[in-house]
Amino acid sequence: MEAVRSKTVSVEVNGELYEREVDARRLLVHFIRDDLELTGTHVGCDTGNCGACTVLYDGQAVKSCMLLAVQADGTKIETVEGLAQDGQLHPLQQAFSDHHALQCGYCTPGMLLSAKHLLDNNHEPTETEIRRAIQGNICRCTGYVNIVEAIAAVARGEVS
Amino acid sequence: MSETTVTPEQPITVEEREVKPGFVGTNVPRKEDERLVQGQGVFTDDVRRHGMGYVHFVRSPYAHARIVGIDVSKALELEGVYGTLTGDEVAIQTDPFFELSTPPGSEIKDYALAVGKARWMGEPVAAVVAATRELARDAAELVEVEYEPLPVLVDAERAQETDAPVLHEEAGSNVVWSGEFDWGDFDAALAEADRVIRIERLHFHRFSSTPLECSGCLVEYERATGQWTIFGNHQMPGVGAIWMAPALRVGLDKLRFVSHDIGGAFGNKITLHPYFVACCLLARKLRRPVQWTEWRTDQHMANTHGNERTFLDVEVPVRSDGTMLGFKVSAIDDCGAFPRYEPLGCIIWAQVTPGCYRWRNVRVDFTQVCTNKSPVAPNRGYSRMQHLWLTERLVDIVAHELELDPVEVRKRNYVRSDEMPYETPNGCVYDSGDYALCLDKALELIDYGSIAQRREEASARGKLLGVGIGSTLDSGTNNFGQSMIVNPELQFSGNNEVATVKLDIFGEIVVTLGTVPQGQGHETTASQVVADILGCTPDDVHVRPGHDSYWNSHAGFSGTYASQFAVTGIGAVKGATERLAGEMRQLAAAVLGCSPDDVELAEGQARMRENPEAALPFMALGAIINANNAGLPPDLDVTLNCRYVYRPPFEKPDVERKYGNLTLTYASQVHACVVEIDRETGVYEIVDYGAVDDCGNRIHPQIVEGQVHGATAHALGAATHEQFPYDEDGTLLTANFYDYHVPHALDMPPLKTDYVETPSPFTNYGAKGMGEGGGAGIHALCAAIQDALRPLGGPIVTESCNPPNHVWELIRDPEATRAGVTVESR
Amino acid sequence: MLLREVEYARPASIEDAVELLADNPNARPLAGGQTLINVMKARIASPEVLVDLNGLGELKTIELGSDGTLELGAMVTYAEAISSAECRARPILGEVAAQIADVQVRNRGTIGGNVCANDPTNHLPPLLVALGATMTIRGREGERAVPAEDFFLGVYMTAAGPGELLTTVTLPPADGAGDAFASVTIGRDGTGIVNVAASVNGDARVAVGCVAAVPVLVRPASTKGDAVRDAVRGAGLEPPSDVHASADYRRHLAEVLAARAVEQATGRKRS
Repeated sequence: MEAVRSKTVSVEVNGELYEREVDARRLLVHFIRDDLELTGTHVGCDTGNCGACTVLYDGQAVKSCMLLAVQADGTKIETVEGLAQDGQLHPLQQAFSDHHALQCGYCTPGMLLSAKHLLDNNHEPTETEIRRAIQGNICRCTGYVNIVEAIAAVARGEVS
Repeated sequence: MSETTVTPEQPITVEEREVKPGFVGTNVPRKEDERLVQGQGVFTDDVRRHGMGYVHFVRSPYAHARIVGIDVSKALELEGVYGTLTGDEVAIQTDPFFELSTPPGSEIKDYALAVGKARWMGEPVAAVVAATRELARDAAELVEVEYEPLPVLVDAERAQETDAPVLHEEAGSNVVWSGEFDWGDFDAALAEADRVIRIERLHFHRFSSTPLECSGCLVEYERATGQWTIFGNHQMPGVGAIWMAPALRVGLDKLRFVSHDIGGAFGNKITLHPYFVACCLLARKLRRPVQWTEWRTDQHMANTHGNERTFLDVEVPVRSDGTMLGFKVSAIDDCGAFPRYEPLGCIIWAQVTPGCYRWRNVRVDFTQVCTNKSPVAPNRGYSRMQHLWLTERLVDIVAHELELDPVEVRKRNYVRSDEMPYETPNGCVYDSGDYALCLDKALELIDYGSIAQRREEASARGKLLGVGIGSTLDSGTNNFGQSMIVNPELQFSGNNEVATVKLDIFGEIVVTLGTVPQGQGHETTASQVVADILGCTPDDVHVRPGHDSYWNSHAGFSGTYASQFAVTGIGAVKGATERLAGEMRQLAAAVLGCSPDDVELAEGQARMRENPEAALPFMALGAIINANNAGLPPDLDVTLNCRYVYRPPFEKPDVERKYGNLTLTYASQVHACVVEIDRETGVYEIVDYGAVDDCGNRIHPQIVEGQVHGATAHALGAATHEQFPYDEDGTLLTANFYDYHVPHALDMPPLKTDYVETPSPFTNYGAKGMGEGGGAGIHALCAAIQDALRPLGGPIVTESCNPPNHVWELIRDPEATRAGVTVESR
Repeated sequence: MLLREVEYARPASIEDAVELLADNPNARPLAGGQTLINVMKARIASPEVLVDLNGLGELKTIELGSDGTLELGAMVTYAEAISSAECRARPILGEVAAQIADVQVRNRGTIGGNVCANDPTNHLPPLLVALGATMTIRGREGERAVPAEDFFLGVYMTAAGPGELLTTVTLPPADGAGDAFASVTIGRDGTGIVNVAASVNGDARVAVGCVAAVPVLVRPASTKGDAVRDAVRGAGLEPPSDVHASADYRRHLAEVLAARAVEQATGRKRS
């Protein structure tokens, strides 16, 4: 078994298959942003604390700045670009807008995916569970108040 | 000591125009959201150009050192490296940036990269450009810099001592600026006082609002014309150009600033000009676009912090009933290694000299110094927050020492709503406000009546409960003439903002703003104003996202900062739209054969009021002027492309007396905070929190409330954990989000809000700028902690940041802080 | 911010993983990456080879023996431990894992990674010392078992050395023990300032974290508060002073939290 400096990876992102050669050292977030040109996933820090880079990785919310692109070979990734379907916003996206849960929008993609991960696994979250679900997503604009409300509204079935 | 309502010689009035009630004042869906929730926002790092190179800065590992030499040869040998830039090149190709201060601060030489000397740890010393981010990072490690370390200065109180290291030899001193402010008659106030409370030292700490998107730019240089295009997140490009163009030795128009979406700024994207100039030089030198995105560590170490201010030898004369007669203080402001936007902070606090109170006698001795720390910038709350924290601490300490109720002391001393507009001792005019009402509402939010009972109940659980109030002002729409008070040679005064509104050939209404929004929803609120004036809906109004100097929709002060969009930006939009509306009526009148006064704009048409069937849809108007204009009356001066510069009614201040109206509007907030402290550990929890905001008439209430939430989160973060401390070597100890803890979702207390609307008599719509907030959360939490610890020897909160360790110290040794406070009876 | 050049391998068996690690002294295992990737971004350490363990299913098993012994594969994530039915045999494990950082970190971070990184502020080292866990290490020469209290050697250093892999963490049967964990962190679920794990069954095992290079195990004379505080004081802790807390504060917290943890653990004991 040999270690390699670069590798061809095959990754399914938002239902589409991508094959690219990538350096072993390239972070998954830069692969998504620079190689796949999906710039909705953002970089906000360099210590894995802010969560702006959050994607769903084989169904799990992860911070893509702490994964190497080469690790993602064979995985299914969902980014914010995959949330809206056929021009229809996902209920979370609609709720975020209705409840003013975004101001500058920089944390929003990661926040939406953490929220989606929560609601995929828990249909009736309490307020504390909602806050726990987005604990890994820093927002400097909203104070989280409206973000929590938006997610709760979707959980209550108030948003189509 | 008499109360004053303002009766200026030239009354400030705003002409009433007919504006139909409609979208202004309602929560219309935000236009920005559709792209942002889909990850389609265009932030600086999202922009690509063919052949671009990535920049990585080499930074000084020393807080203070001579740069003996820089060798870039090994970096240049690395494959994929396009080139480098060093301070020597910068010193040849550019002139130092314009300094705002008087001597000695005026002598400071500030460049895009360190020249000859590094003055703070992290200062950019050289730059490398390469084909990928990773290669640029690798190449930076190969740049060899030889340093000669020098003694380090990190204590602002030491900066003026004769043996302190001097950062800028050309200035010969670490003092950037100093001055005395003396209004009213402080000595008479002392003589009249029953008691004088003296406080040795209060300290407002260094922190910043750390926007999630880091600074950045992508710069292209067009050789044919010498034109630079800077796609970046500079939040005040009007001023950025004023710094950059002379430095680059070009005319202002050679710098085109473009931005689309910006991920927060909070004042930390105002002094990006050094980095931008470095990138401009590289783009020109390397003949390719260059892209720079700041790393989080760089933002903490080498972008900007908020001003750190130490207050010494405070004296507060009071009457026994708690009436406060004035105060005196010596303030030392630490602006870090280079002033840049400073020393404006040395005067901007004077917008709120007495805070919310009717102090008539104020004496402030203000000195600003350089230290080997990151430069500062107008972080959210800029300079007023530090001062308002002081006033709130004084009120609480006075109440504490005289054993008076802090609520009563506030109400006794607050400026009253019937005194508005209120002229402060230094000539500023508080436009409107009802601080007592806001306080009552805040107390209601936290169920103040039950506090005594909750205190007992908490005590049974081993917790100390405390309640604290924080009142604050958010002064907005600066009169830049205040800069003349710090330097009479400066030629800046007044303020402005620009907007254009046009009706296009197919009837599209297109708006361009001079502002640079970073999440405040300008596209949305502008469209509300336009829709109401033109008689259409916000959906009919297209507001171009972001900023572009090619739109020619900007002026010297354009940008988004200082809580002023609702006044300046909206003022510009209203002015431009009214011009357009007037032209539309004129044109319609010419076509319909009536008088413009007979024409109304409604439902997307220009029609005769008396005969609505005689109507021209907007599309028709646009088509006529743009493509079908034969036969129009020769004197019809209509272009349907209207530009308006909003200019607030300001006078130049009296530089001698340091007197004058420095800001147009004063939003206010009163917060109430209930805290429970674990007496064994000092760990505390905010168990109840109320924030009341008054920004006059609210154009979009949901957006306003969002700003209140965000400002509260910033304030509470700063009050509990966020600090930028340095060790004695000048190392920043919290250079990333791991060590610099900001509030996450679970850290936020249960936050309740309410509002009051006291319209401003000085603005369109009676709205006031808001957004910065004024740091009320800091003031309230400090007060709550001090209140909670009263039974344990009554320590005084003298620091603005109180993490659990510090609270434990207050519990452990209350005398340490008590020793600095004395009460003299007269 | 960005890694140096590195080589990457994703072995399919533990043997292959051990070979790769033993072949190159500058090879390191990549587990959850929640610490290592950040270390590499900051270029504090730059291994030449990363051996990705995420393909090793053998390291992801959780087995509850009939005697109550709980065996966790080193690559079990915090999220997996939290949701595992078997782990309910020792609920403190899931309770503590749930306090680590956030959902995203818990989806990737591993028991083995937390333990082998041995950052002094990590949660699992003091917990496993208090519980009397055993670590199984595999190298080229074979397997060996090391008790938790001997496993942690220094800051970022454990008994699993170069060329070796931690494969299993084994918790002894609970046997009615009461376990608790008390901590003061920077913000909710943030980095530890001081943390203390206690396991009480007859006597008490108290492990204090964040105060030294390795967890400090203390055996108080009784479970009474004063006895616990005396024992902690008697350990002569010399904790670091840093931007988050002074040495004095950490020393004080160690006593307070130890007493609280023991009190809570005692209350949870089933006789």
